[in-house]
Amino acid sequence: MKNPIARLIIVLALISIGSGLFLALTYTYTIPHIEANAARDQEIAILETLPGAVDYQELEQTDIPIYVGLDGGGGIVGFSYVIEGGGFQGIIRMMVGVNPHEEKITGVKVLSHSETPGLGARITETEFLDQFAQKSINDDFEVKEDVDGVTGATVSSKSVSAILKQSLPQALEQYRMSGGGK
Amino acid sequence: MKTGYEFFKGLWDENPIFRLLLGMCPTLAVTNAAMNGLSMGLATTFVLLGSNIMVAALKNVIPDKVRIPSYIIIIATFVTIADLGLAAFFPDIYKVLGLFIPLIVVNCIILARAEAFASKNTIGTSLLDALGMGFGFTWALTLLGSIREIMGMGSIFGMQIFGEGFVSWIIFILPPGAFLTLGLLLGLFNAMLNKKKTQCG
Repeated sequence: MKNPIARLIIVLALISIGSGLFLALTYTYTIPHIEANAARDQEIAILETLPGAVDYQELEQTDIPIYVGLDGGGGIVGFSYVIEGGGFQGIIRMMVGVNPHEEKITGVKVLSHSETPGLGARITETEFLDQFAQKSINDDFEVKEDVDGVTGATVSSKSVSAILKQSLPQALEQYRMSGGGK
Repeated sequence: MKTGYEFFKGLWDENPIFRLLLGMCPTLAVTNAAMNGLSMGLATTFVLLGSNIMVAALKNVIPDKVRIPSYIIIIATFVTIADLGLAAFFPDIYKVLGLFIPLIVVNCIILARAEAFASKNTIGTSLLDALGMGFGFTWALTLLGSIREIMGMGSIFGMQIFGEGFVSWIIFILPPGAFLTLGLLLGLFNAMLNKKKTQCG
C-alpha cells in the first residue's frame, strides 16, 4: 500500500468491521439468555407478590404493566403491577400485588433502585416490605405511624409509601376498566 | 526470569492501584463490597487480556497515526462482550455492577497497557502482562472492598462476621469511605516501602 492515508482508512475500517462482526456474534449468542433472565425475574416478582398464584397473564391495553395472577385451577388470585417513582437518589421500580376483592395489598417487591447502599438500599429487605402486605389499599402508609421506616433512610422509606399511595387507586381502576376479573 | 517478571510486576512492583495509581474511577466507585471488587477486577482482567492480545497481534498492521482509535475500538469491543456475557450468565452480579461495566472502556490501565506494553511486545509477554496487571488490579479491589464491607456492614462476601452488637460504620460503604480506605492503604504501603529502603540503604 503506497498511499498512507488510504492505509489508515483501510486498517481502521477493517478493525471496525471485525469488531462489529465479533459483537454481532456475541449478541446473538447472549440475547436469549438475557431475555430469559428478565422473564424469570419478572415471573418470580409476580408470583412472590401474589401468594397462591402459580401462573400469570398480562393484561392488554393498560397504561402500566398489569399481570393477573392465577391459581392452580385457573381462578384469579389478584393482580400485580409495575410502578416506578422517585426515591432518594434515583428511580425506584416496584412490583405490587393486590387482591382486588378485598382491596388489600398482597405483597411488594423492589425490582430496581439506586438508593444508598447499606441505608436506603435496605428498602428491598422483606422486614420493611412485608409491613405493607395485608394493608388496605386506602391506607395512608404514613412512615413512623402505619409502617416503620428503615433506620437512617427516612426519605427512601417515605418514597416507597408515596409511590404506593399514588399508584394503588390508579392501578385498581385500570384493572377493573380493562375487564379484570372477566 | 524476564518473562516471569512480566507477570509478577503487576501484582506488586507496578500494581495498577497501589503503585501506579491508575484506574481510580472504578476503584473508588465499586469497592463497597468484597464481591463487587472481585467481580469488577475479573471483568477488567478479561478486557485487559483481550485487548493486550489483540493489540500485540495487530501491532505491525496498525499505523501509528490511528493507533489510539484502533485501541479504543478493540477495548470497547471486549468491554461490550464482558457486558453482554455478565448480563447473560451472571445476572446477579450484573445488577450491582451493570452501571460500571461500560466504564471499563475509560479505565486508564487498559489503554496504558496497550500503548506502553502490548504495542511493543510479543503476544506471549503481552498475555502475561495482562494477567499480572489484571490480577494485581483484582486483589487490590478485593482488599479495598473487603475492608469497606467489614467496617461498613460487618460482613465479608456477604457473610456476617460480627455478632448482633456490632455497630457498622456506614461511612465506609459510602463514597467518602473509598477515599479514606484507599488513602490509608496507600500510606501504609508507602510507609512499609520506605522502611525497607532505609534498612537496605
